[in-house]
Amino acid sequence: MPHQCTTCGRTFQDGSKEMLSGCPDCGGNKFQFKPTGATTNEQSAPNEQSAPNEQSASNEKSSPSETERSTSAPTDPTDVDATAASDSEATVDGEPPNPRESSKNTQSTDTTGSDLEKGSSDSTTGTEHVRERSEEDVAQASARSDVVSPDELDRASQPIDSESGAESRGSGDPDGPRPDIGELRDELNEQFESIRIVSPGKYELNLMELYDRQEYIISLQEDGRYVIEMPDAWGIQDE
Amino acid sequence: MGLLTNLKDSISRVTDGLFAADEPKRIGIYGPPNAGKTTLANRIARDWTGDAVGPESHIPHETRRARRKENVEIERNGRTVTIDIVDTPGVTTKVDYKEFLDHDMEKDDAVRRSREATEGVAEAMHWLREDVDGVIYVLDSTNDPFTQVNTMLIGIIESQDLPALILANKTDLPGADVQQIANAFPQHETIPLSALEGDNMDEVYTKIAEYFG
Repeated sequence: MPHQCTTCGRTFQDGSKEMLSGCPDCGGNKFQFKPTGATTNEQSAPNEQSAPNEQSASNEKSSPSETERSTSAPTDPTDVDATAASDSEATVDGEPPNPRESSKNTQSTDTTGSDLEKGSSDSTTGTEHVRERSEEDVAQASARSDVVSPDELDRASQPIDSESGAESRGSGDPDGPRPDIGELRDELNEQFESIRIVSPGKYELNLMELYDRQEYIISLQEDGRYVIEMPDAWGIQDE
Repeated sequence: MGLLTNLKDSISRVTDGLFAADEPKRIGIYGPPNAGKTTLANRIARDWTGDAVGPESHIPHETRRARRKENVEIERNGRTVTIDIVDTPGVTTKVDYKEFLDHDMEKDDAVRRSREATEGVAEAMHWLREDVDGVIYVLDSTNDPFTQVNTMLIGIIESQDLPALILANKTDLPGADVQQIANAFPQHETIPLSALEGDNMDEVYTKIAEYFG
């Protein structure tokens, strides 16, 4: 069972496309990869050692990450949307590979972080990840062939050290995926928002977006919601 | 199916043409905040109907809802041109309540004004997309016309093939520079005026009749 849903624990075979649109049971869109060697065959001693190690690390981490998710979920639906989009249509609009990659990175930094806490060396976890990746490459490549470009696979198969180092230097380390969500939100704002509420009483407007949108914003609410009127859209659909 | 669609299109084109001949053209008065749009709208409405369109103010974003004055009949050279004037909220890319605090406004009022002004911009942009047949673009000739908002709006107006008249307003003020506006939009005719003082309104009405009649 190479893939496991981090929410409900359902497992999927490697190469399964079922999970590409989210877990069918719970709708979760975060999965952890479990190499077959870790669960079924005992391929090598370090792998066997490190696999439960990682498993326990991820289990340890699962409760905080769940709390993080639960706190972030209600405030920011874009998180869920973006990762779901990255699962299902990553090649379509170019943005989703970032969230996908970042979620992968944060996952890996999580495990390396907790490994560090446990005292194991960073480099061993790094090489372990590289080995896992190289083992999964063929199957993963086929499973993801329609969603991830070869470039990204190459990048993903780089040693974890430098990647996690870069990540921890940047936004990933201090408080988990939150900064990524912020960045993502900024990116989405720049692309899609016609009216951005900077703070109460302070607005930034995207005139082209306002002009292009068919529906008409008739009222802004204090909490960021707004009321739109879209009679033209109804008319067009009726026709 | 294609035949039906063609038939439908041609019928609607004919009916559009009939209505266009009957209905007055709807002319949107556009421009950045505080350019004198409402002052101009009031000047035109008072001159030809005796009514006003809306309150004028030196505080930006006084007009936060588009206001329409229908059936304004303008007589020029023996013929009458009937237009509907739509005075729109000033278009901007940023609205900040703090700019209203300088005008002796309480914070709550300033925040509310800011929100309404933002709604107004959305409404103005919506009108531009859906509901105007021509544009009078008003600029304060004491300000630099090379702004993102002006360039974008003029670009949209041009892309829509809407007839547009550019007015360099506030020529009564000492720093007025009409030539700067003419240079900024050389593809359009620029007419200087003071809507407040009523200077050069004759030429404005002549051009309105010429462009929108």
